[in-house]
Amino acid sequence: MAEISFPLPDLGEGLIEATVLEWLVSPGDQVERNQPLVEVETTKSAVELPSPQAGKVVRIHGGPGDKINVGEPLIVFEVPDNTAGIVGTVPKEEAPKRRVRLSAVLDED
Amino acid sequence: MSNSILESVDAAGDSTPGRTGTSAGTPASTIVMSMQQALNRALDEVLAENPKAVIFGEDCGQLGGVFRITDGLQAKHGAQRVFDTPLAESGILGMSVGLAMAGFHPIPEVQFDGFAYPAINQIVCQIARMNYRSRGTLPMPITLRVPSFGGIRAPEHHGESLEALFAHVPGLKVVSPSNPHEAYHLLKYAATRPDPVIFMEPKSRYWQKGEVNLAHGEAGAGSPTGAKVMREGRHLTLVAWGAMVARCLQVAELAAEDGIDIEVLDLRWLKPIDAEALAASVRKTRRAVVVHEAPLTSGLGAEVAQLITQSCFDTLRAPVERVTGFDVPYPSGDLEDEYIPNIDRILFGIQRVLEYKRG
Amino acid sequence: MDTLPVASGGAADPLTPAQLRELYSLMVAVRHLDRSAIAWQRQGIIPGYAPELGQEAAQVGSGYAVDTTRDFVFPTYREMGVARTMGVDMVAYMSTHKATWHGGLYDPLKSRLAPIQAVVAGSVLHAVGWAHGQTLDQKDGVAMTYFGDGASSQGDVHEALNFAAVMKAPVVFFVQNNGWAISVPTERQVAGGSVAARAAGYGMPALQIDGDDVVAVLGATRRAFAHARAGNGPVLIEAMTYRRGPHSTSDDPGRYRTLDEERDGAGADPLERFRQRLLADGIADEAFFAEALAAAKAEEEQIRTGIQALASRPGTEMFDLVFQETTPALQAQAANWREESEHV
Repeated sequence: MAEISFPLPDLGEGLIEATVLEWLVSPGDQVERNQPLVEVETTKSAVELPSPQAGKVVRIHGGPGDKINVGEPLIVFEVPDNTAGIVGTVPKEEAPKRRVRLSAVLDED
Repeated sequence: MSNSILESVDAAGDSTPGRTGTSAGTPASTIVMSMQQALNRALDEVLAENPKAVIFGEDCGQLGGVFRITDGLQAKHGAQRVFDTPLAESGILGMSVGLAMAGFHPIPEVQFDGFAYPAINQIVCQIARMNYRSRGTLPMPITLRVPSFGGIRAPEHHGESLEALFAHVPGLKVVSPSNPHEAYHLLKYAATRPDPVIFMEPKSRYWQKGEVNLAHGEAGAGSPTGAKVMREGRHLTLVAWGAMVARCLQVAELAAEDGIDIEVLDLRWLKPIDAEALAASVRKTRRAVVVHEAPLTSGLGAEVAQLITQSCFDTLRAPVERVTGFDVPYPSGDLEDEYIPNIDRILFGIQRVLEYKRG
Repeated sequence: MDTLPVASGGAADPLTPAQLRELYSLMVAVRHLDRSAIAWQRQGIIPGYAPELGQEAAQVGSGYAVDTTRDFVFPTYREMGVARTMGVDMVAYMSTHKATWHGGLYDPLKSRLAPIQAVVAGSVLHAVGWAHGQTLDQKDGVAMTYFGDGASSQGDVHEALNFAAVMKAPVVFFVQNNGWAISVPTERQVAGGSVAARAAGYGMPALQIDGDDVVAVLGATRRAFAHARAGNGPVLIEAMTYRRGPHSTSDDPGRYRTLDEERDGAGADPLERFRQRLLADGIADEAFFAEALAAAKAEEEQIRTGIQALASRPGTEMFDLVFQETTPALQAQAANWREESEHV
């Protein structure tokens, strides 16, 4: 597994910071791309930031009332370690299991 | 192919990359990576070394392929040399023919084994015979990468084993790596050949890591042609390729618990098949079982068995056994483990050979 | 774009309020099941899924035009909304995503839906053959085949369009142009930008429609069916829509498109658009929408329970279903499998 960190995006109009109003996800949550993550307030308005990534939330930065600068870490996701194909599942490495025993009298001629 | 027996014997030495875990004496050129990374690295180097090499297929460019084998290559080498095509396999392979005629070395990708079927016309009727048709004036240096075989609970047409189909076609060469080291070296070799090579990547092994000795030649990889002994043994030879090699190595360890010493031969090249390596191994062990995922009937196991019988008839203690997939369409994920040869079925095959009595 | 003669297309009766509400209920059911299937994958209930988020109007609207007493439909792997609209058993349909059986466990003949097709453009020609069979049998069934902008690149699609036009086969080619073939956008897939425009070359009438407007989709599909059923030959419909989600549950669209591009490309949500329209026209109220959502949730729960309870198929089916008349070699392999397997 790898971690992907997303900073507070540039919210446009020259805004350089935002205040966290409410987190809509918690560490441990599995979120989908585009799912609302957090409500933040800028000097202009309150906006919901959608998730740019599907994955499991590992950490969130800043509680309600905290200010975060654009470019500072906002949220960290855990994603599969570049192991995904487009379909199917990565096989698990398992210890070999057996039922069958071999028996033989081997002549060594 | 000339020195394949010697190479097979050499390959059984301590530096054999297939026998990982030898921390002492590991060459400095050895690094640990997954097969996915090894293939990516090989392609990166091929692009750097050959300005006429081009990579293309469905989602090969910006996405880096659905298995990320071409990840980052477009960014590094440019969209002229690593590009997405429209979604049409026959188009991808047909276009490869023209590119080859124009002096390029196409390295097309068919996204999944089962999607090679729509391209069969171009592969069989065109790529495989252009050199012959043109009396050698239009060689087809095309390296077709095909994520192959089953084991990942994927949808239909994402788990097929097409080696016998390809091997049957005059004018095609076929190779399949079994681990990251083999993947790196075999792809680098295949992608520099003047003939068409079908490169079958065992997709269930993409993510397992292993040591890759990047050095070429005798000090490093050894020969990229012919078969390779992955484990030496005295009593019986297991012949396999692709994802089945790792399973056969597991079986060999289990058999050792029962006092049976098994040699595992990674065939690597499915066309041409290294008949000398088969002969050398089975002359020693006198027993052989061939394992493949593909269906039994007219599978490559039959070809292997015949080659062994031809060279070792007098010393064989039992008929060559085949442990294979069944003559059924590759099943859905729920039944995959019933289809792919498992450890017990391979052990049963070994036991049949061990207890065989003449007469 | 609309080159379908009005006369031959037979203007259908306007939709009743009850039908409009039914369309909405279907779209909600499909939306909820689709979303849930992604969650099932994340929860380990199914190994993978190909979502159709954003294509509800295209799928429900077109599927609603099918007469399951006489027509036949050829889906790809992303037509859950069509299957649901046609009344297919959804546990049997979703079983393919549980890796129980390629093609799904539903009965194609009874449900009038061909097995789920994993090969892109794999069944487009089949529709032509089925439709020509109707001509030979002097029946009035119509085949509808689904494919996408990506599939339109396959040579088989050209062959199918040409065959159907030459033979005047009663086929509706329903193209969902959802903007993306995995990572490749339509502008790098479809030269000229429109699949519908190609129909002219085959002398085939075509419609390019707003695929996110369920009423428009249904209207166009009904006209196409009427045209084909009357013996006038095939019609191509290109429903312009957008794949709002990933290609599959393992896909990461962040590698090839930004959220902004996604938002711009997707436009207004087809479900929300239809909701607003029903409200504005006084066809439905909030109570109805709440009821529809509750029904969708109950339905999803039932399907999930069914999927979770679904056992693996017996391994003997691997051998039993290869042929109608089995072979000695296959019987021997089945016997060998039984002997060497724990799953007797």
